[in-house]
Amino acid sequence: MSAIAPIVEVTFRGLLGRRRIFLLVLLAALPVLIGLLIRIAGGRPDADRVLDTLVVRFVMPLVALIVGTTVIGSEIDDGTAVFLMVKPIARWRIVLSKALVAAGLTAVLIVPAVIISSILLSRTDLATTLEAFTVACFFGGTAYAIAFLALSAFTSRAFLIGLAYVLIWEGVLASILEGTKFLSIRQATLGIAAALGVDTPGQPLAAGVSAAVLAVVIAGGFMIASWRLARFEIRGGD
Amino acid sequence: MTTELPPNPAAPPFTPAISVDHVSRWYGNVVAVNDISFALGPGVTGLLGPNGAGKSTLLHMMAGLLAPSAGKVSILGQSAWRSPAIYRSLGLVPEREAVHPYLTGFQFAVYNAELQGLAEPEAAAERAIATVELTDAAHRAIGTYSKGMRQRAKLAGALVHDPPVLLLDEPFNGMDPRQRLHMISLLRSMAAAGRTILFSSHILEEVERLADSILVVYAGRLAASGDFRSIRRLMTDRPHTFTVRSSDDRRLAAALMLEPAVFGAELVDGRVSVRTADFGAFTRALPRIARDSAVSLFEVAPADDSLESVFSYLVRR
Repeated sequence: MSAIAPIVEVTFRGLLGRRRIFLLVLLAALPVLIGLLIRIAGGRPDADRVLDTLVVRFVMPLVALIVGTTVIGSEIDDGTAVFLMVKPIARWRIVLSKALVAAGLTAVLIVPAVIISSILLSRTDLATTLEAFTVACFFGGTAYAIAFLALSAFTSRAFLIGLAYVLIWEGVLASILEGTKFLSIRQATLGIAAALGVDTPGQPLAAGVSAAVLAVVIAGGFMIASWRLARFEIRGGD
Repeated sequence: MTTELPPNPAAPPFTPAISVDHVSRWYGNVVAVNDISFALGPGVTGLLGPNGAGKSTLLHMMAGLLAPSAGKVSILGQSAWRSPAIYRSLGLVPEREAVHPYLTGFQFAVYNAELQGLAEPEAAAERAIATVELTDAAHRAIGTYSKGMRQRAKLAGALVHDPPVLLLDEPFNGMDPRQRLHMISLLRSMAAAGRTILFSSHILEEVERLADSILVVYAGRLAASGDFRSIRRLMTDRPHTFTVRSSDDRRLAAALMLEPAVFGAELVDGRVSVRTADFGAFTRALPRIARDSAVSLFEVAPADDSLESVFSYLVRR
């Protein structure tokens, strides 16, 4: 496991040293800022609805999209991935290191936002809201991050494809076509939250199905990314 | 040392450090590398060819970063493609300049040493940094380095585990003359210690100064391989065309046609275009012929001395 620590460290430094991190923090802080504004304005919001609409549907997938497509995709794009690929390291270890960073940073940004927003907005059952959305967003964010990481191992257009998945597939089609819900990370995240006691709109996925969807995405994304990196081919050159 | 494949069955078993066996690589309908075979042992070999000839594609296949479409590439007897274990014995200096800009040169070398699983990564990094003469700038961020310094940082990363096989893609890019001399001397001493070093270049003079043997690649094909001097001779003795401007082109053309080294002379655009099979004999004879014909020479210029034409000639042979 000795190679994992340096890869994690260098990947974190690559992410944190750039302007991208300010965008991520701003994005993650959005629900907190809106919660504050609502509190200051004396509004009486429904915490579950705000967390569902703002965090699960918008902030969490976007944060995971930016982080997931960057941890390995940016190194492939700028050519620095070569230094990693010409080392005697099993490819699954590289993916594990990158997945730890992607999922870890997504959780570090999203979970505090969920906790603070819950505290600001919850009127009745704070404990349930807090627990349900924290657990659901932790696993949902991990699934998103690893799915987007795997996507970036295949294509340099991972960000655009991921954005289309979040906005078009999950935002529009999965809400209209009932039978496609199990292909949506968002629906699985909401299914976990619903199973833990919060009120979500529509008919949520069953807890078992939601857990299975997230587990398949996490394990499948990890395996597909490892498979892809084992066949990594450098871009460019004559 | 360059040898032909397949090996002589009567010869003792020989595992070349780098073996490229009937390797091709194509992208759709475009053939980047076309049925190339060679085997390399210890020493410095130059991979020479114009830009776009297929040098980087070939080097990337040797480094296991591209799958051959046909044929096989081996490093110390192990397939290069999908074999992470070969990287314990292989160092690569890629052509692209990108190096993590937020790391210092020393941190980059330590990172490479840690990824190699070395027991004392910091000591190995210090040695590699000293070897490439980057100690003074070792604790500065690579983002502040010059192109030549980045090349040396990449070399330090490739040398940190002391590999027996080293692949370098255009390693002299961006280096100043002093850095080039140091790099040449460093690579020579590493080759003398028994390492196999292959470097690509599109500059003949670089290859001439460093390589014991060369591989000439042109349009994806191996145009020539072997001892540098014999291939240099081939390049020099190929048919040449010169254009000459003089005080009396017609008289000079007539006189040149009497010279055995000249097999053609014609008047083109106010100049004499001379074709010769013997570069040395022609250049020695021309002043004498001009003097004997009472013609003043204003300009003598090679018409086809680009590397492109040299490589093209080698392929046609």
